[in-house]
Amino acid sequence: MSRLMRTSEITQRPVVTLAGDDIAQIKDIVYAADGGSVRGFTLAGRGLFSGPLSTVLPWSKVAALGSDAVMIRDEHALTDPAALEAGSARSIGKGGNILGSQVLTDTGTDLGRVVDAIVEVAGGHDQCDVVGYEIESSEALENAGTKVLIPLPDTVAASGEHLIVPASARNFVRKDLAGFGAAVAEFRKQLEGGGS
Amino acid sequence: MLFSKSRKHKVVSTGTAETVARVKGFVVDPATRHVVALMVRKSKQGDTLPWTRISGFGPDAVTVADEAAIGPADEPIAALSGKSNTMLKKQAISSFGDHIGTVTDVAFDGDTGAIQSVLVDGEPVPADRLLGVGSYAVVLEAEPTP
Repeated sequence: MSRLMRTSEITQRPVVTLAGDDIAQIKDIVYAADGGSVRGFTLAGRGLFSGPLSTVLPWSKVAALGSDAVMIRDEHALTDPAALEAGSARSIGKGGNILGSQVLTDTGTDLGRVVDAIVEVAGGHDQCDVVGYEIESSEALENAGTKVLIPLPDTVAASGEHLIVPASARNFVRKDLAGFGAAVAEFRKQLEGGGS
Repeated sequence: MLFSKSRKHKVVSTGTAETVARVKGFVVDPATRHVVALMVRKSKQGDTLPWTRISGFGPDAVTVADEAAIGPADEPIAALSGKSNTMLKKQAISSFGDHIGTVTDVAFDGDTGAIQSVLVDGEPVPADRLLGVGSYAVVLEAEPTP
């Protein structure tokens, strides 16, 4: 069972143990340095006046990421921040080193600016892949100014200013999450097979 | 037996035939999936009636040998009897983190106190899928995907 989610929907979701207690909520998302997967989450306390927590939640300790809660086995899943630091990029959620980036094709066309990241959550303990971005489209695409989804290859070059995608990505742009999973799969298959 | 149908049961002493208390709530241990005690009111002895001290749980009343069965909550029961451990009207989520509905009732065995099923929006979910009862939700194991 796998599903796609916007990362903006994950922040502020409660972190709930299998015993049913909400012991934290997601503050921000920490990505692997290459931007291709989610390494874990920074946390805040529950409630209006509670600030950030000093512990983090590594992806390996997440039991399930659902539409209403992030499930963990028990409170031992929350660990020292050092567990996330090695090989992590700064979170894109707030600092904005990917949000707001200009998406350029490798042939030099501006497709738009990143407004959200799309992750694929598989069952079990597979990694949490970043499979695409939601971008505000430029004139290069139909319906300039609207939000569209663009699939990502397995690895991308990102500088904080630009994000480089293969030119063929624009053939796999979708308007909403339904059908986007298939578009990502097709796009990646074409990249592997094509080689051009 | 349902929580909703027995929530206001009288607690009657079989020794004196007097009503000694009234049922106020249920204390459930999610680990063993049993009712471990009843919360009661109107007794001078205390507010807790451990399941082991109940003589009978019938359709109309709960019977005890005498009022001394009721007392203050002991440590393990007190830990399970907080507001965050109540089940009725709490939201139910699956172990996948998805909202399922609201717990409308709980069915249990009047002889043993074993939870039989959790009713979510009226639909019974077998008790062996009950994982936890906490401050945020009642957690039910997700149905295995075929």
